[in-house]
Amino acid sequence: MTVLSGRPLAIPSPSRNPTLYGWLFDAYPSGSGMAVWLIDADGQAHMFHDDFTPAFYVRGPRQDLHDLCQMLRARRAPVELDRTERIDLFLDRPLEVLRVGVRSPGLLTRLFRQVADFNPYLTYYDADIPLPQRYALARGIFPLAHCAVEHEAGRIRHIQALDTPWEVDYQLPPLRVMAMRLGGELRNPARGHRGDLLVQIDGEEYPFKREHSRQLLLGVRHLLERLDPDVLVTAYGDSYLLPRLLELSRHHGIPLPLNRDLDQAIAHKPAHSYFSYGRIVFSDEQHLLFGRWHVDRQNAFLGDDYGLDGALEIARLSGLPVQTVARVSTGTGISAMQVATAWRRGVLVPWQKRQPESLKTGLDLLAADKGGLVYAPLMGLHEHVAELDFTAMYPSIMVHFNLSPETVGAKCCEGVPVPELGTPVCSHRQGLVPETLAPLLEKRNQYKARIRELSEDDPRKEIFRRRYSAHKWLLVTCFGYLGYKNARFGRIEAHEAVTAYGREVLLRAKEMVEARGFRVLHLYVDGLWIDKPGAHQRPDYEALLEEIRTQTGLQIGLEGVYRWLAFLPSRVEARVPVANRYFGTFEDGSIKVRGIEARRHDTPTFVRETQLGMLEILAKGQGVAGFRSAVPSAINYAARQLQRLRAGQVPVRDLLVTHRLSRRPDEYIARTVAARVAQELTLAGVSLSPGERLRFLLVPGPEKARAWELIKGEIPYDRQAYLQLFLRAIESLLAPVGVDRATLETWLLGEMSYWGPVGLLPPQGTDGRWPLLANARPVRAEYSLLATSAFRELQRERFAPTRQAA
Amino acid sequence: MGRTLPSITQTFLQEQQSLARFRRALRLEDQRALDDLLAASRHHLAEAAYASHLLPFEIMLLAMLVEEHKQVIRLRDELETLRWEGHGQEGSKP
Repeated sequence: MTVLSGRPLAIPSPSRNPTLYGWLFDAYPSGSGMAVWLIDADGQAHMFHDDFTPAFYVRGPRQDLHDLCQMLRARRAPVELDRTERIDLFLDRPLEVLRVGVRSPGLLTRLFRQVADFNPYLTYYDADIPLPQRYALARGIFPLAHCAVEHEAGRIRHIQALDTPWEVDYQLPPLRVMAMRLGGELRNPARGHRGDLLVQIDGEEYPFKREHSRQLLLGVRHLLERLDPDVLVTAYGDSYLLPRLLELSRHHGIPLPLNRDLDQAIAHKPAHSYFSYGRIVFSDEQHLLFGRWHVDRQNAFLGDDYGLDGALEIARLSGLPVQTVARVSTGTGISAMQVATAWRRGVLVPWQKRQPESLKTGLDLLAADKGGLVYAPLMGLHEHVAELDFTAMYPSIMVHFNLSPETVGAKCCEGVPVPELGTPVCSHRQGLVPETLAPLLEKRNQYKARIRELSEDDPRKEIFRRRYSAHKWLLVTCFGYLGYKNARFGRIEAHEAVTAYGREVLLRAKEMVEARGFRVLHLYVDGLWIDKPGAHQRPDYEALLEEIRTQTGLQIGLEGVYRWLAFLPSRVEARVPVANRYFGTFEDGSIKVRGIEARRHDTPTFVRETQLGMLEILAKGQGVAGFRSAVPSAINYAARQLQRLRAGQVPVRDLLVTHRLSRRPDEYIARTVAARVAQELTLAGVSLSPGERLRFLLVPGPEKARAWELIKGEIPYDRQAYLQLFLRAIESLLAPVGVDRATLETWLLGEMSYWGPVGLLPPQGTDGRWPLLANARPVRAEYSLLATSAFRELQRERFAPTRQAA
Repeated sequence: MGRTLPSITQTFLQEQQSLARFRRALRLEDQRALDDLLAASRHHLAEAAYASHLLPFEIMLLAMLVEEHKQVIRLRDELETLRWEGHGQEGSKP
């Protein structure tokens, strides 16, 4: 039955029942089984019923299990009870468990809750696997699988997948998409923005006046019934459009067939805020449909990064429904993939994990409780720097060294000791996590190769890029989930083993780099920045890369060779570099930036565009000298931008600042700008939750800022405040050649514009002479305090007579 | 986040804080020199973390020495160069 790995299965044998070929579109509990939707090659949707009895498992003392069975029988619960054997992941042997099969899948959650309340001290397994995923696993299919369905009187007799999730160039069903949004600029209607409803389908746009709600409702209903879309793609559908349409439907007494399955009510999940990685995140309410997908672009996780193509790929791989995948983090996807691996192995999936951290001595803890290696780079501007990156380092380590919760610290064999820690890792059976990740890494490599092969005008190229990006996010989250206490297959020791191997591998690479005469400028978890006189081209690094691959067993690639690369100092302590604040230009002219304003989400578009515009000018310079000679042009560009800013010509939407609310509006004590905006919105009747993003304009006068949603047309902005943001962004770019804030202000705001020939930048000879931070060998590091202060002195001398004359 | 022990940066800041009274009592020029030394040791936090030393301050001191010694080497090289240039062009640098 299982087809989740390996090659496609044979076409089913002929039978008397009709067979339909189509793609699995949706599956959800309905009556005694599942409602299953398929879309055929003509785009026609078909619904079938499939009897299905999902089960959860219970382990505990015999008497307690007996009492549980008595309780269920007494309540006449629709269950099947039997004893069976399933494997425990950590014990690696079968255990006798009670199987509770639920004949009405829709009742499973409620029934399980009753059981867990009846006896919370028993151990429960397989209790919270989402039903669509269970069903797909049980039938050996997956979302969007191409299936052959043998059916009779609307019931499935046999269903079989004809492809596998590991296909690279797979076919998808023809989907009819209906797009829905409010007219005007894309603003959050839940915060007061109003507009006519615009519906797009089959290349036509249908506007509906918001004043005529009855006609609007009838119009949407007509389009849904006549054109029967498969997917509803909305902007703010979850938080505004769908709830508002449903409200109108109730008000006018006109049913609105948003669901294809009219027997189901639309599923609603309320909004909530939660903590993730030390910050508060807001998850908006959700409206999920049956027999049709609703995807809200404004409520999608990383929607811009991998789009619907990536979401469909994650759905195929994880077995989770598309509507879920479009809204949750990729961590949920990787977790579901691990559940699928466990299910196929017959391994029990714990309901509430009981895997506490094992006892450690202080010294053990000191050795283990560390992350990846994050060095302090050699500050300043460098040229001909190569960046080497390990490909998907942590997932590759898990696969290569067999790191999984059940293999790290296993006592079944002598094992292989983890570097630094000495914890043995089982070497006789493949771990659950490596088994899950290995095919994913393989598929990612295949996409990488295909993307490289395909020409730019091939439409598949962009689709493959998005799927590749989806894989990247799945792989990124798999490491975090290994150490997450609530993850089903998380265990801190496995997490620590991964970082220990990561450090070992990076240091081994560093040693090989240095043995070949390269200098290490920076090391960052899975990347190395290196240079060597004379090494300017890709072939200069091939032998080194090959040696690292052979010695570490992991894939490493050359990200590129930079024409020039700047590592920046901390804003707080200028003598100290920051590991992830850098920018540079590769040999092909492409730009890479990290940690500067252009990468920050809260930076206004205008400032970001100015910074990127300057970077493009600087990128034309070859090497350090080229960078220096491009500075005057970059400054001229900045001066033109500044002129627009100071003349009040920049449109409001390009000046919006984004801020994430860290608490409820009434909890703010200090009157920060964000607090003022939150208050303005609250007074306008908008309810805000922690974690929600605010977008606002900085304005002159006592109010300081205005919420974007409440601004009508163009209004004056606070030029002084934006000027500061503007200068700060430019300073980041020019700091590596010793241009500080005072100099910038002189150039851009003084009566004299940038007038200097390049020689006015700190002379080459003064670079890198700051006593402690210069290298032992002669360096090219250009940024230093000395350079800056020397430059300032120089400026003062040059300006003194001018000022006196003025 | 999720860590049992303070990170190496937190440890560094604690150590720096513990020197606050010493720093305050120093003359201004000495304070600057001390700040330079502390900044120098901050350049080697990754290495210090990897060392997992029970007494991180010892590693911090070593990091300062490393930077100081690099500086001595560099100055010595420069001095040698200047000396050979000053001696005329009759001999090459040994």
